[in-house]
Amino acid sequence: MKPQRDVYIAGVGETKFGKHRLEFDALGRIAALQALKSSNINRPNIIQSAYVGNGTNGLVTGQTVLKDLGMCGHMPIINVESACSAGGMAVHLAVRDVATGFTEVSLAVGCENHSLHMQSGTAMAPAMTDIETVHGAVMTGKYALRAQRYMYETGAKIEDLALITVKNRRHATKNPYAWFKGDISVEEVVNSRLVASPLTLQQCCGIADGAGAVVVCSQEMARKLGIEKPIKVAATVVRSGPYHNRPRDITGDDITEATSRQLYEETGIGPEDIDIIELHDAFTIAELLYYECLGLCGKGEGLQFLRDGNATLGGKCVVSPRGGMLSYGHPIGASGAAQIAACVKQMRNECPGYQVDPVPRVAMTHVTGGGLSGTEHAACTMHMLVRP
Amino acid sequence: MADRGNKKEPEITFFHPDLLEIPTDGSPAYLKGYRCRACGRLDFPKLSPCPSCWGEEFDVVPLSRTGKLYSATDIFVGQAGMKTPYSFGYVDLPENLRIFCQLEGEIGSFRCDDDVELTVGTIRTTSDSERITSYKFKKVGA
Repeated sequence: MKPQRDVYIAGVGETKFGKHRLEFDALGRIAALQALKSSNINRPNIIQSAYVGNGTNGLVTGQTVLKDLGMCGHMPIINVESACSAGGMAVHLAVRDVATGFTEVSLAVGCENHSLHMQSGTAMAPAMTDIETVHGAVMTGKYALRAQRYMYETGAKIEDLALITVKNRRHATKNPYAWFKGDISVEEVVNSRLVASPLTLQQCCGIADGAGAVVVCSQEMARKLGIEKPIKVAATVVRSGPYHNRPRDITGDDITEATSRQLYEETGIGPEDIDIIELHDAFTIAELLYYECLGLCGKGEGLQFLRDGNATLGGKCVVSPRGGMLSYGHPIGASGAAQIAACVKQMRNECPGYQVDPVPRVAMTHVTGGGLSGTEHAACTMHMLVRP
Repeated sequence: MADRGNKKEPEITFFHPDLLEIPTDGSPAYLKGYRCRACGRLDFPKLSPCPSCWGEEFDVVPLSRTGKLYSATDIFVGQAGMKTPYSFGYVDLPENLRIFCQLEGEIGSFRCDDDVELTVGTIRTTSDSERITSYKFKKVGA
């Protein structure tokens, strides 16, 4: 959706990602309060609507997050669930409210705590209502199927896929919000425990807890709040995954291709104009495929794009500058909002030790969501952000 | 109070009569495709109404018993309650249908584009440790 009027990001917040003893609501409040304060909002009744993304933590999650900040009673609070897309989708809906004139300023939060609730040593799976889940499907395995086919068709080796983890962990080295970071060798990645062949542990995002938050507003409100570096939301697109239980190419990704094409068309910004991207690198293979799906390079050229250094500092487009999900871990309802928070900080030159140079002017974010049989993903949410 | 709240529905042990037919005369099992009488679309699993035209009448079509393994993986960290390792993959049938299924055979033995055939076996167990039977695929001749 291209906004009917200009929408700006006033402020953002994020928690450190990792295993937390704090519940989802406490994490959500930390990120929300950071986003609100960095938007110069100093009392509970300024925000006019709120959307809270969460995947697995239960009912009325948004009201649970915002009640203790005194924000319940002043505005509608709407809870958003679409598995891994939930946090991004919450931001999309907040942008919509401002774009259509329904509000002048809205809040989006994504938050999740998995580790307090998941049995350790098990993998995430779609709901038992899904025919693939009944037959043992897990998300790691569904991405492993893509990896096997990609390697079979292109001749790529597991050592090639491992380069993605090495790159993203290096990006995260000095990022205080990332969980796994710093030097790791291809050998360490490849020789870590096998999770779903060919994916080893260090090629899978950690099951983490965390939160991200974003305040969006109109141009007039950004002026009133005294926002020094507003970031413009050039467009935001949400799509649902087409159903077709037929043979298809899973080394592509129909929903990511359609969502990114729509985003490029609505903004007039092409892949060659983008400085940084945070994408759904839940597994190494995913980032590699998405270079191609997003049009950063041609079909089958993803590995060359990576090897040539095009996806890292000094390359054509820095992919996963915060370290991506492979460094942060992936609290499913939080990641989409946290990606946007990280991009806004980059565009404001607020990332000491991991700042992309020159300071990015155009950023794109991408989260898919939900393993649903007959679709590549149930949802895809993307944002294009521009520093005016 | 009556014990209504405590009464447990028995869990299924066969998945699923709409999808898998095991003839009693000893002839081989087959998967059941559903062809929409209104638009001709063939689907597996059964979808009613037809997602193309919302037709509600179907002819059951026995599907091919062999296909190509499009991709496969061995799972070492599985769903809660499932014993590892196990293998699953996508099988493409000549009817232009893709079947997600568990694979029967040695871990590490499956390759893309292997020829595979339908078999019937255990996919998981109920909470009472009873076996749940469903369709699976194995390498042709294995």
